[in-house]
Amino acid sequence: MPIIWTRDGIVDNDPWIIPEHHEDAEAGLEPGAAAVSKGKTLLTLEQALALDGGESGFGVILQPAEDVRALASLLDRVAILVLTFPAFSDGRAFSQAMLLKDRLGFSGELRAAGTVLLDQVPLMLRVGFTSFVVDHAPTLERLEQKRLPGIDLHYQPSADTTRDPGGYSWRRTAILNG
Amino acid sequence: MYRYDEFDHAFVSQRVSQFRDQVERRLSGDLTEDAFKPLRLMNGVYLQLHAYMLRVAVPYGTLNARQMRKLAHIARTYDRGYGHFTTRQNIQYNWPKLSDMPAILEELAEVEMHAIQTSGNCIRNVTADHFAGAAADEVADPRPYAEILRQWSSVHPEFSFLPRKFKIAVTAAEHDRAAIQVHDIGLQLKSDDAGNLGFAVWIGGGQGRTPILAKKVRDFLPEADLLSYVTAIMRVYNLHGRRDNKYKARIKILVHETGVEQLTSEIEAEWAHLKDGELRLPAADIAAINAYFAPPELGDRAEGWGELAAWKKSDPGFAEWVGRNVAPHRHPDYGMVTISLKPIGGIPGDATAEQMDSVARLAEEFGHDEIRVTHEQNLVLPHVALADLEPLYRALLADGLATANAGLITDIIACPGLDYCALANARSIPVAQEISNRFGDPARQAEIGEFKIKISGCINACGHHHVGHIGILGVEKKGAELYQITLGGSADENASIGEIIGRGFEPERLTDAIETIVDTYLVNRLGSDEKFLDCYRRLGAAPFKTALYDASAQAA
Repeated sequence: MPIIWTRDGIVDNDPWIIPEHHEDAEAGLEPGAAAVSKGKTLLTLEQALALDGGESGFGVILQPAEDVRALASLLDRVAILVLTFPAFSDGRAFSQAMLLKDRLGFSGELRAAGTVLLDQVPLMLRVGFTSFVVDHAPTLERLEQKRLPGIDLHYQPSADTTRDPGGYSWRRTAILNG
Repeated sequence: MYRYDEFDHAFVSQRVSQFRDQVERRLSGDLTEDAFKPLRLMNGVYLQLHAYMLRVAVPYGTLNARQMRKLAHIARTYDRGYGHFTTRQNIQYNWPKLSDMPAILEELAEVEMHAIQTSGNCIRNVTADHFAGAAADEVADPRPYAEILRQWSSVHPEFSFLPRKFKIAVTAAEHDRAAIQVHDIGLQLKSDDAGNLGFAVWIGGGQGRTPILAKKVRDFLPEADLLSYVTAIMRVYNLHGRRDNKYKARIKILVHETGVEQLTSEIEAEWAHLKDGELRLPAADIAAINAYFAPPELGDRAEGWGELAAWKKSDPGFAEWVGRNVAPHRHPDYGMVTISLKPIGGIPGDATAEQMDSVARLAEEFGHDEIRVTHEQNLVLPHVALADLEPLYRALLADGLATANAGLITDIIACPGLDYCALANARSIPVAQEISNRFGDPARQAEIGEFKIKISGCINACGHHHVGHIGILGVEKKGAELYQITLGGSADENASIGEIIGRGFEPERLTDAIETIVDTYLVNRLGSDEKFLDCYRRLGAAPFKTALYDASAQAA
């Protein structure tokens, strides 16, 4: 059973439902507004783009090959965006996250789903992910203990909140396990 | 050279702790080998045929004596007394224990070294011209920019899980000694008419299964835009590079399939958002990094000219070594000395702990404490006074390091091949050794002239065979080793990919075939000043094909 983790701890009663076979438009989901009214099932990009304009507070799940910029005009009405890691070696969602947070200024919840493992979480936090779907027990244990295996010194600006330590313009610091 | 500040020390120390924790979780079973693999690779740890291998970064090939001594110490303490310098200016240890890795990394950190991103699908160690900072023909020292790229790319959150590995090379001379056209990004530092520094930017070069030369996408990128532009390239690649087939995952395939114009316009569109942002390099930061690379104080040593002439006259061996292995420095009283790691019949790129210690000592004594590793698997002392060449030569001779073959036919590049590597299909080292022995006679080598033989034991092309004047690729056919020969490759500013000459050769017939090619060149060249590559480009493959295959058909 996957658990939702954020830097504030484990989230109980998380309402968001990842649709079964979400990559499949024919999976029985209703398009657009009908899907929103059903509750908290995440919309696909296609469904989100089909919304007629009034809705807000909905969530969208994106695939790694999808262009996040397509959502630009909807972002202020989106409550949560979920990006997916089909395998830990597939790093496209890191760039999608940067575009959403850094370029498009998305300020809502950004969730990592798919293969979320301990050693990737510090990097995901840096590019702006705020919540994580975790079902790997050793990963969850370390996250709960706030023992993330990261580094507090960074050689590049990213989408996270960091301090400028002075010196070279590209350097940043942040306390990971604070 | 660059010196760590507190930030760098703290970073590397935390990186070592992070890796120690990863190793512990692997050993306890919390991490599967599948999940551990990319993590250990990002720290240079491979699982090879017989043992783990550790690849240590030598950023842009620059070392000091203290660092070289540490490399010797690691070879002696944790390995079998030697190390192997690679075509990416790194050093590999072939026999360390996994459980010793964190301790080795801690030892490296003491001398400001690490193994970060020497493997994995991330931005690898940035390489540079091995004569940088000493060559007469460079616009400026390219290493400060390589250092800025090294820092920026270290544990980059967005670019640690790329479709495939990513290699950047920097040079600052028209004559390209860094092979920038066979890198994912090649940067040529240059000056515009107003004297401002910037880069010609090349993308999409690479070797491997599909060798492709890079395409120039920018003729002059101002230096302040270096990080923003490289970020734009990386982001477009990370989002769109192929992930369905590892042999099609390098940026060269994205460039090829998308088309360079289309891809360039995507990169430029991305860059438009980034160029005025946080990544823009302040002039003060560029100047501060440059200050670390200030050249050593090289006082006039004009007495060396007379002494050198006298020594050369009295010792033909010394004269030959100076002629081959010493290149002109931008200070006329100095030379750039290549220390060949290609003894006749030896293993290309290998050095014993004792040899590393000797090089360290000699760098201190004669070389202003600077050492370089070349992508051709040799070492360089970049600042040696002509007046010191004779004692340096004597010392090198005593340590088996005075082979006078830089740039000659026995200065062979070879990957570790099937003797070590888990990916290899065939042996490389014994092939190199046999060719070296065949052509080892100094007079014969001199007669043949400049000649680059490059050998890879599999299609991944770590031995750069595609850009060898003669390239040799080991393949496996029906359970036996077979060697394909390519001719006419080059990695300099007139880069070319070698062409397959015909069917491959069994190991026992390969050296004869190489000799046939060399003899054909000697017969056909216009004179001793027509190099093999020029001769091949003039004549094409036909005479070589005839010599290789018609003759053997007649003999059979």
